[in-house]
Amino acid sequence: MNVPGVNVVSRDWDEVIDDQSMINRPLGTSAHEQQLHEPLRGWEAFSATFLVMFKEEGRKSLEFAKKRQMVLFPLLLALVTAITTIGLQFLVGDSSAQVSDIESKTFTWQELRFALHLPLLMFSLGMGTFAFMGHDAIVQRAGTKNYLLAAPALQPLPNSVAHFAYFIKDLCFYVVLILSPVVAGMAIGILLESLAGILTPLEWSSVPWTWLAMIITLAQGLAIAFLASALWMRGRPFTIFGPLLVVALGIAIGLGKFDLSSILWGLGVQNTQNMLSALLALLACLIVGLISSALIIDDFDVSVVERTELFMPMYQRLGFLGKGEIRLIVAKEFVDLFRSGSIKKMTVSYAIPLLVLLGMAWLVDFSEAPIPINLLSYAPFLGFFGFNFYSWLTILDSPEFMNGLPLRVPQLIRAKVVVYFLATSWISLIFIVLMAWRLDEWGALPTSIIVMFANSIYIVALTAFLMGLRPNKAIFDASIMIWFWIGTVIPLLLLFLLSFTQGDVSLYGNWWERASQDGLAATASMYDQSMVEQGYIGMIAISVALIFASALLWKLMDRRWGHAEFSN
Amino acid sequence: MVESLAPLVMAEDMAKKYGDFVALHPLNVEVHAGEFFGVFGPNGAGKSTFIKLLTGQLRPSKGRIEVLGVNAVTDPQKVKANIGIVPESESPPSFLTPVEFLEFVAKLRTVENLSEQVKHWIDWFGLEEKRDTMCKDLSKGQRQKVMLAAAFIHKPKLLFLDEPFANLDPIYQRKCRQWLLEHVKNGGTIFLCSHVLEMAERMCNRMAIINNGKVLAAGTVKGLKQSDEETLEDVFIRLVGRSIEEVERFSDEGVKDGDSEEE
Repeated sequence: MNVPGVNVVSRDWDEVIDDQSMINRPLGTSAHEQQLHEPLRGWEAFSATFLVMFKEEGRKSLEFAKKRQMVLFPLLLALVTAITTIGLQFLVGDSSAQVSDIESKTFTWQELRFALHLPLLMFSLGMGTFAFMGHDAIVQRAGTKNYLLAAPALQPLPNSVAHFAYFIKDLCFYVVLILSPVVAGMAIGILLESLAGILTPLEWSSVPWTWLAMIITLAQGLAIAFLASALWMRGRPFTIFGPLLVVALGIAIGLGKFDLSSILWGLGVQNTQNMLSALLALLACLIVGLISSALIIDDFDVSVVERTELFMPMYQRLGFLGKGEIRLIVAKEFVDLFRSGSIKKMTVSYAIPLLVLLGMAWLVDFSEAPIPINLLSYAPFLGFFGFNFYSWLTILDSPEFMNGLPLRVPQLIRAKVVVYFLATSWISLIFIVLMAWRLDEWGALPTSIIVMFANSIYIVALTAFLMGLRPNKAIFDASIMIWFWIGTVIPLLLLFLLSFTQGDVSLYGNWWERASQDGLAATASMYDQSMVEQGYIGMIAISVALIFASALLWKLMDRRWGHAEFSN
Repeated sequence: MVESLAPLVMAEDMAKKYGDFVALHPLNVEVHAGEFFGVFGPNGAGKSTFIKLLTGQLRPSKGRIEVLGVNAVTDPQKVKANIGIVPESESPPSFLTPVEFLEFVAKLRTVENLSEQVKHWIDWFGLEEKRDTMCKDLSKGQRQKVMLAAAFIHKPKLLFLDEPFANLDPIYQRKCRQWLLEHVKNGGTIFLCSHVLEMAERMCNRMAIINNGKVLAAGTVKGLKQSDEETLEDVFIRLVGRSIEEVERFSDEGVKDGDSEEE
C-alpha cells in the first residue's frame, strides 16, 4: 500500500531475492542538504570515553564500599605490604635472628618475585574477560543498570573503541587502587629503616622497578583474558583457538621450552631491570589489547530463543530441599545457570585452579621434591576456590524483580550457596580423588574429603555472609576484606600447617635440615607418631569447627541481610 | 532520483530472524522528509525491531537499509551520528549524572557550545535539581527525560522514538509533543513506535499498524478508518484480527470474574 510521504509494505519471504552483491548498492536516500557528521573514531572516540568510564568505575566501587572503606582499602594494602617488607628479612634469611645455616636458607629473591607475579597474573586473568562483560552490558542494558560499555548500541561509538577504553580504564584503576598502594607500602617499609631502625633487605632502587614490573604482569593478564574472551565471542573457529593456545602453552612449559621470565613478562623485567624490555612488554600488552578490541564487532543482537520448560522439571528434581522458598529460588538459579550458558564458563573457571593444584601435586610428586606437602595440604585449597564461583552466581541475573515478591535477601543468598554446593561439589570430589591417585595417598582420602568440604562450605558461607549479593564490589571494601582475610587465612593456614603431620610423614620433623643437606636425595630420620595423631585430631576438630561456623553464619544471615533490598 | 524527492529513510526487503523465530517479515519502507510517521502494534508485534534495524542497532537477517544516504548495515556508526534515538526501555548509564551523560553524548556527537546545550536541555526537562544525581537514583520518568535530552542535544533532523512518553508525566508529555510537532513543522522528520493509539491521532500524519512482524495497513489516520464512526481503537482491533464483539466479551468476562471473586 503506497501513500505519499511514507511507503511501507510487507512482502512474502519467497518474493525476496537473496543477493549479497546488492548489499552495497545505494538505495537513493538523501540527507537533503543536511551536513552529515562523521562519527568519532580512533583516538578521539577513545579520549571521549576513557575518562568518563574511569569516573563510572570509581562510582561503581564507591556505591558498595562507601567513601571511608574505599579509602581504607588502599591503606590496608599499603599497611600489609609495609609489614611484609619488614618481614622480608626473615623470608630471605637476612635477619640477625637467623643465625643457623638451616634458618638462613629460606626463600630466594627469585622465588619471592615469582610469588608476587604469579598470583597477580591469575588475578588479572580473572578480571580481564572484557568481551564477556561487554556482551552482558549490551544484553542487560534495558534492565535496571546500564553501563557505558553498552553505549555503542545507541551512540555513534565503535564497540571496539569502547572495549579498548574499558581495558585501559581497568588497567589504570587497578594500578591506582591496588599496585600503587602495594608499592607505597614497600616504600613505607624501607622508610622505617631510617626512621625506626627496622631492617629490611629491600632497597629504594627496586621500588619503581617492582611497580613497573607489576603493571606489566597486570596488563599482560588483562590483555590475555581480553583476547581469550574476544576470541570466544567470535564463535567458531575462533572459539577453539583459546583452549588450543592454553594447552600448547601448558605442554611447552611442561617440556621446559619456556623459562618463567618469558611467560611472566613482568618477572622478566624485574629480573633484568631493562627499560627497553619494560617498554616493549607494555607495548606488547597494548597490542594484544588492541587486537582483542578489533575482534569485537558491532553486534547488539539480543537473541530471541524459545526454550522448552525447564523450571518445573528442575523444581521437581530438587525435592530433597523441601517445599520452602529456597527450593523455588534454587530451581530458578539453575535455570539461569543453564540458559545463560554460564554453567560451562563457570565450571571451566572453577576447574582451572583445581587443575593447577593437580599439576602442582604432579610436579611435587614427579620431582620427588623434599617438601612435606601431601593430599591433606591440598584439601583446604580445593575448597577455597568457592569464592569465585559464588561471585559469578551473584551476577547471573539482576535480582531487583524480587523486591516485589514475598521473598527476603537471606533466602536468595542461601539459595546461591546451595547452588554453589550442588554445582561444584562433584568437581571438587573428582579432583581430590584424582590427587589421591596421583599422590598414592588413598589412606588420607576420607579425611581430605571432610577437610575439603568443610572448608568449601565455610568459605562460601563466609563470603555470602560478609558480601551478600555483591562480592565483586565488596573486594574494595576494606572492613569486609579484613574480616574475610582473617576468616579465611587463619583456618586455611592452620589446616595447611597441620597437614604436614599427615600423609607421607617420612620427611616430617627434620625435612628442611635433611633437604638442605641432601637436596632431592633427602630421606627421613625421625618422626613422632603422637604428633601425627594430634595433627589428625586437630584437622578434624578445625573441620568440625568450620562446619559449625558455617551453620552459625547461615543463621546470622537474617540479621545481617534481613532488611537489605534485592540488588547486585 | 531528484534530490528533493528522495526519501530520508529507505529499506528494501528488510527482515529479522532469531533462529527460527521471525521478528520482522521482509519489509519495504520509504520515509520522506517532513513526515511524522507512527508504527503501532500490540506488544511483541515487532515495532522495536523495526526501529532498531533502521537505526543500525541491529543487523538485518536480510535486506538493505539506507538512512540519509548512508548504508545502515555497513556504516551504522555514521547513521547513529546523524539521527536521534530514544529507545523503549534503555536507561542512561547508572553511575553518571544527567549532566555527565549529556556531556559524554555531546562530545561523541561533536556538539558546538557543549556546556550551553547541556544546560539548555537540563533546564528544558526540569532536571536542574537532579543534575548531579546519579542516573540510577532518578525516577523512571526522569531517566526518560535524560534519554530524550540525549536524543535532542545535537539537533538531529531525523528522530526515531520508541515509546518516548511511556514514563513521562502529562505536563512533559504535552511539552515534548509540542516540541516534536514544531520540529516537524520546521522540516524535521519523526519515526515513532508505540502502542498508544492516542499518539497517532494527536501527532502522526501517517501511520502503519503491524502485528506478528508484518505490516497490516498503512496510510493517513483518517484513511485507515472505514467510517467516520469507527475509532482508531476499532481499526486497530479489526486489523490485528479480533472482532469488536470478541474483545468486549473478554472485558465482560473479566468484570464477571472480578464480581464473582468479590462475592
